Amino acid sequence: MEVPAGFLLVSLLLFSFAATGYGITFSSLPRSLVVTTSPTQGQGEEQITVTWALNQTFPAGTDSAYRTVKVKLCYAPISQKDRSWRKTEDEMKKDKTCQHKIVSRPYSASNNSFSWTIMRDIPSATYFVRAYVFNAEDHEVAFGQNTNAERATNLFEVQAITGRHASLDIASVCFSAFSIVALAGFFYMEKSKGKASQQK
Amino acid sequence: MDISQNLEKNDRKFALPVDSEHKATEFRLFSMATPHMRAFHLSWISFFSCFVSTFAAPPLLPIIRDNLDLTATDIGNAGIAAVSGAVFARIAMGTACDLFGPRLASSSLILLTAPAVFLSAIANSPAAFLMVRFFTGFSLATFVSTQFWMSSMFSPAVVGTANGLSGGWGNLGGGATQLIMPLVYSLIHSHIGSTKFTAWRIAFFIPAVFQTLSAFAIFFLGQDMPDGNYVRLEKSGEKHKDNFSQVFYHAITNYRGWILALTYGYCFGVELTIDNIIAQYFYDRFNVNLHTAGIIAASFGLANLFSRPGGGILSDVVAKRFGMRGRLWTLWVVQMIGGFLCLLLGKVGSLTASIVVMLVFSVFVQAACGLTFGVVPFVSRRYVLSPVC
Repeated sequence: MEVPAGFLLVSLLLFSFAATGYGITFSSLPRSLVVTTSPTQGQGEEQITVTWALNQTFPAGTDSAYRTVKVKLCYAPISQKDRSWRKTEDEMKKDKTCQHKIVSRPYSASNNSFSWTIMRDIPSATYFVRAYVFNAEDHEVAFGQNTNAERATNLFEVQAITGRHASLDIASVCFSAFSIVALAGFFYMEKSKGKASQQK
Repeated sequence: MDISQNLEKNDRKFALPVDSEHKATEFRLFSMATPHMRAFHLSWISFFSCFVSTFAAPPLLPIIRDNLDLTATDIGNAGIAAVSGAVFARIAMGTACDLFGPRLASSSLILLTAPAVFLSAIANSPAAFLMVRFFTGFSLATFVSTQFWMSSMFSPAVVGTANGLSGGWGNLGGGATQLIMPLVYSLIHSHIGSTKFTAWRIAFFIPAVFQTLSAFAIFFLGQDMPDGNYVRLEKSGEKHKDNFSQVFYHAITNYRGWILALTYGYCFGVELTIDNIIAQYFYDRFNVNLHTAGIIAASFGLANLFSRPGGGILSDVVAKRFGMRGRLWTLWVVQMIGGFLCLLLGKVGSLTASIVVMLVFSVFVQAACGLTFGVVPFVSRRYVLSPVC
């Protein structure tokens, strides 16, 4: 009875693929990684060091499907307030909490560490760090974060560059002044034209 | 001496056929002849540049909101500020046109608001962002000078077409900017290599310079009336110089102006509101990416290429057969349909249906604007445009 068994296996595989392919929710992921960062609470420095490892309290074999780890910089609730483009949604496809990738590494149970220099285009906000674990099909299967479940502890702030330069400031002001001076020039020219036609 | 001078003026050759007031009785789109068609091209291009400047921020908001740490409330308020300043500016503009002529009035306003666009490049906080959007929005009052100028240059038979085209092609700027600004931004960001937060700032110089150049063009190449500029005509006695309080009093006591103001608020006002929020609507409701949302947003404003002028032309066409009554009835029907489509847009749940409804809605709401301005020149011959806008 090879054919029916084979068929059953394929359909099971397909079903499991479909089940994990769509609608993966954050709440379904086990928190099986321990993530720590330094510097910790409240500081803004140029470098963050992130370490992650498997939580040893989980049963052995939990990590049999783990293949890659992606560490991301995520917005804390205070920076999400009144900003729907950073909203947390349970469905992973729609979730916009973690928008900045720090690093992507193949999975290993311990001894993982990465020093990250904060990119220049990271906006000013309060953040925490979360690591997602992916299986061979590139679906999320677990996560870890350096803050608690309410995302209220171990948060840190990043101060962005303004993007302004002295040359820009000067150019802006000069062009503006030029516009006003040109306007005054227009009025003066118009007045003299008026006088000229009166004399005609 | 006087008689021969008068004869000379009446015999003056115009490129287009004119009526007794020297207003053109024909509209030739591809001509640049002074003074009529040149006035048309100067006015729609300068109005277009004001729209580009006023709506330059929305397509770059994903970058700006991160740079200035804006909340959704900040963004909403800035959008309202951008279009509300123009309300009072337009009233003042009408009076300015009556007193100084459209050429000087529009070039002055454009030069006065250009600094707001230049200074947008150095905005550093939500408050600063709101201020620059507010003052830039004043430039939308050039609409009044555009319509006033067209009404001075074109006869009743073609004024609807002239007004519709100049207004519509100006409004086009609100759609074009959704394509122009991201393009300019990405050129600066990738080719010159500026960081994101610097590139958007440099990008704002483009609409600002464009706006300034258009003011120069109007001042040096334009003229107020077919026979010349106000200052020359007034000093030589050919044009009666109006008194401000007289003008204003007659404007605000004309009930027709108030009715049209109300209906216009609900077609053009709706159009501006949509300009401000449509990209965000598609982004949030249907989860399209920002690029796609920008293109959809642009297509709403780009319909102005034909829809608002279409309204103006339609107004002239029905007027030939049915006169003013035809103009008014057509305005009512088109605006009603626009209203129903607006309600429908909020109800549809799929992306495709939303886009289709939005496109049809854009045509009707913009045509209603064009139809409104087929009526406005007839509100009062003398105090043409102070009240409505």
